[in-house]
Order: sequence, then structure tokens, then C-alpha cells
Amino acid sequence: MSNAWSIYIIVLAVGNILAMVWLLVITNRDNGVEESETTGHKWDGIEELNNPLPRWWLGLFIITIIFAGIYLYLYPGLGSYKGSLDWSQMSEYRQARDANAETQAEFFAEFVDYDIAALSRSEKAMATGERLFANNCTTCHGSGGRGAKGFPNLTDNDWLYGNAPETILASIQNGRAGVMPNLNLNSATVAVLARYVQHLSGEEGISDHVIESGPKRFAICAACHGADGKGNQTIGAPNLTDDIWLHGGRVSDIENILRHGIQGNMPSFSSALNSNEIRLLAAYVISLSSSNNTDLSTTADGSDNPANGSNTTAEGE
Amino acid sequence: MKHETIEKNVGLMGVLIALVIAVAGMAEIVPLMYQAQTTEPSPGVIPYPAVELAGRDVYVKEGCYNCHSQMIRPFVDESLRYGPPSLAGESVYDRPHQWGSKRTGPDLARVGGRYTNEWHLIHLINPRDLVPESNMPGFPWLQDNEVDGELITTKMKTLKWMGHPYTDEQIEQASDAVLGVTEMDALIAYLQFLGVANNGRSQK
Repeated sequence: MSNAWSIYIIVLAVGNILAMVWLLVITNRDNGVEESETTGHKWDGIEELNNPLPRWWLGLFIITIIFAGIYLYLYPGLGSYKGSLDWSQMSEYRQARDANAETQAEFFAEFVDYDIAALSRSEKAMATGERLFANNCTTCHGSGGRGAKGFPNLTDNDWLYGNAPETILASIQNGRAGVMPNLNLNSATVAVLARYVQHLSGEEGISDHVIESGPKRFAICAACHGADGKGNQTIGAPNLTDDIWLHGGRVSDIENILRHGIQGNMPSFSSALNSNEIRLLAAYVISLSSSNNTDLSTTADGSDNPANGSNTTAEGE
Repeated sequence: MKHETIEKNVGLMGVLIALVIAVAGMAEIVPLMYQAQTTEPSPGVIPYPAVELAGRDVYVKEGCYNCHSQMIRPFVDESLRYGPPSLAGESVYDRPHQWGSKRTGPDLARVGGRYTNEWHLIHLINPRDLVPESNMPGFPWLQDNEVDGELITTKMKTLKWMGHPYTDEQIEQASDAVLGVTEMDALIAYLQFLGVANNGRSQK
């Protein structure tokens, strides 16, 4: 702030306070002596009294003036003067932020020797993980981690890139960009492939024509999804043989993707979260699916579990 | 000055009342209009490119500010959720600013880069497809309206006249830049642009 502005503010602020003092001084009169003095105004026989200010009110007025003086001495208010406490909004924020970082460091110190798997079993760590997840992940992956169309379900034990702790860590840290290219397929191929992919995932009632001509046309898909359609976790190509559909399992959904391709994108969190937080989140993601292992086997999806089970062991290695 | 003099001269009383009312504003507001801190852009803050500018108008038109603020206050619990506190210099190209006074939805000051474009698209069409508990209305019609290139050019010219450092080239290319861009695209581009200069996240 330039000196001129600083002086301008000081003059206004101090001048204002002095004007208040001056007002008190010039209007000061002995209290309680002549209660009935009037201002001389008279309207329809009604007279305006000119009594002195009540003592208690005057006292409060004086206190506010003293308060203003003390405040302006302690806190920034007079132009460039920073106040004797050297307080500022941002300095208070930074103090609180540092205090918070300390609390956080204390919390994470307890888990310094835990690997991610161990973290995912710690109740205390997962309570915090849940809150971190709610704050950063739920908008896409859903409040229970169950995802939405186009956004992976994290609880179903079906993994695009695998569920090895390092892989999940990398996904959160660096983000992921999944690309299914537009292959410029003709409409006959699109129609057959859409049904064939449904057949791969175990849907009944697919015509023999599709089942016969499907494998030949599937060759172009095999580059990423594998000849058996089981996907490829190193490039994030989904397993097409389970009944889990990231972008919808209806014929129209599948045809749409075959025609236009699709991109999946998970943003990187490396600059938004620190490494401790990312580790905790990775552990939480693991805990989401592991706690659901048993639930799943009792639901209608149970039939998928053997396939998923073999996937998980493959990833683990 | 006597009580009576003031009371019986309306003009004088008016002047004195104005003075009393204005004194706080003169000390607290007027100097801010001349401080570099509030009038110069923070590092990395640039005027909205054509598409983002069009998106900003959609944001204002649809009343997003009624539920979303764009100002992260300097409190730790806010910065943990939304990112570093907002700076005055980040609003210099906002006319008017969208700080907002109410948060029915989250603060958007640093929403840029936080979600993907696809996420925004699905979420703006029907928020409940992604966040089942959301009470935000959907804005599907934004996909049907296209941005008016001529209007954006005029707006950029006006803003340049008001001091936004647009280049002539930018203004010339503005209508091409928004050619075929829907209000939805523009709004998403605007959201992805918010606060990226200082949000601690990388923008692609």
C-alpha cells in the first residue's frame, strides 16, 4: 500500500474517532440537574426534551472508543501499520494449516511401518480412509464406491488394471487414461460383435450366426482384450467375459462404443493429496472390495466370482 | 453548529448524513480499488479465452451462483476440501465476480481439472446418474443451444475496452473458436478453467 493511501486511511480512521470524542465533549452536560430543559421545538403543544445522555449509555459509548483505540493498536487497521500482534488473516490460516499438518503427521506416524495391505486391515486407518474417499473419490465412484455408468465400481473385485497395491497406488497417483479406439468397423461387424461380446459374457439366446462368425471378427479386438476376451490389465483393457459392464451392457451401449470408441479418464491426485493420503486411499480401495468378497458370493453375481478369483491371483503375482 | 441549524437546513443535513454514511466506505473500500493486490492478476491468471468466456455466461445465465460459491475462505477445513484459499487477484477478470453467498453445492473456485469432461457432461445432464444423493437440477438443454460467435466477439471487445488484455488475434479468432460449440461444451470448458492457475492440480 502506498504511503498516500496509508495516510488517507489513518486520517479517516483516527479523525473519525476524534470526532466522536469531540461530539461527546461538546454535548457533555451535567447529568440529572435540569431534566426538563427543552430544545425549544414545539409541535401542537408537544415539546422536545433535551435531556443529557443516560449515564449507562454514555459509559458504553466511551468503552467503544477505548476499544477502537486498543483494537487499532493490536490489529492491522491503520493503513500499512500491521498492528503490534502482527496478525493477518493469512498468517492465522497458515498457523492452522501447519497445526493440521502436524496432527496429520502424528496420525500417519503410527502407520509408518504398515504396508498397504496392513493399512487396509486397520480399523483406525480405514475410518480416516473413508473420509478421504468421501471427499475425493465419491463424486465419480459413488458414495459406497459402487461407481456409475462409465465410472468403475470399486467393490466388485473386477479390476481394469489389477488390484495389486502398487497398481492402485499408481492409478491414484498418476491417474489413468483408458482408450478404446474408434476402429471404423462396418455396421455388420458392429452388429455381430455387440452380440458376440454379450455371448462372451454368458448371455443366453445369441444366434448361431453370431457365435460362428464372432471369433473371426473378434480378431481385431483381441489385440487389447485378448483372444479369449479376458482383457489385459497392463493396458487396462476390460475383461469381456464377465457380466460387469463399465459403459452399459445393452446392445445399443456396446454398439455405440464399437462405432465411436470411448475414453476413460481418471485424474491424477498426486498434486492434490500427499503420499500418505494416497497410500491410505489405496488401502481403502482394497478394503472396499475385500470386505465385499463374501457378500458377492451370496448375491446373484456369485457366478462371476471364480473368474474374478483367478484374475486376482494372476494380478497378485 | 447548533442542533437547530442542522435540523432546519435539509441540504446541510443531507450532506452531513452522506458524509457520516460514506466515511467507512471511503476508508475500507475506496483504497482497495487502487491496490495492486486486488487489481492485478495473480501469477498465471489470464482472461477467459472465447469458449471459456461463453461458458461463464452460461454459468451466470443458469444461476449457478445461487448454489455454488467461487471463493475458498482462508480456513484449513475449506482448503483441505477445495484447495488453497482464493486470492483477490484471481477474480480480476471476473465481471462480475462469482464469489457467491451460499453453498448449497460445493465451492467451485478450483474445480478445474478435478473431474474429467465426461464426468461433467453426465453430471450436468443428470447429476443423480453419478451422485444419487445430489439435489442439483439437471441442465440437459444446454446441449441443444449453440454459442453465438458474434456475441462473444462483441463481449471480448467490450472487455478489452475495460482493460482485459485480449490480443486482436484472440478477438479475431473468437467466433471461429466457438463455432459449433454448444453451451454445454462451453460451460464444461469454463468449469475446467476455474482456478487452475493456483489450485495445486495439474491441468492437461
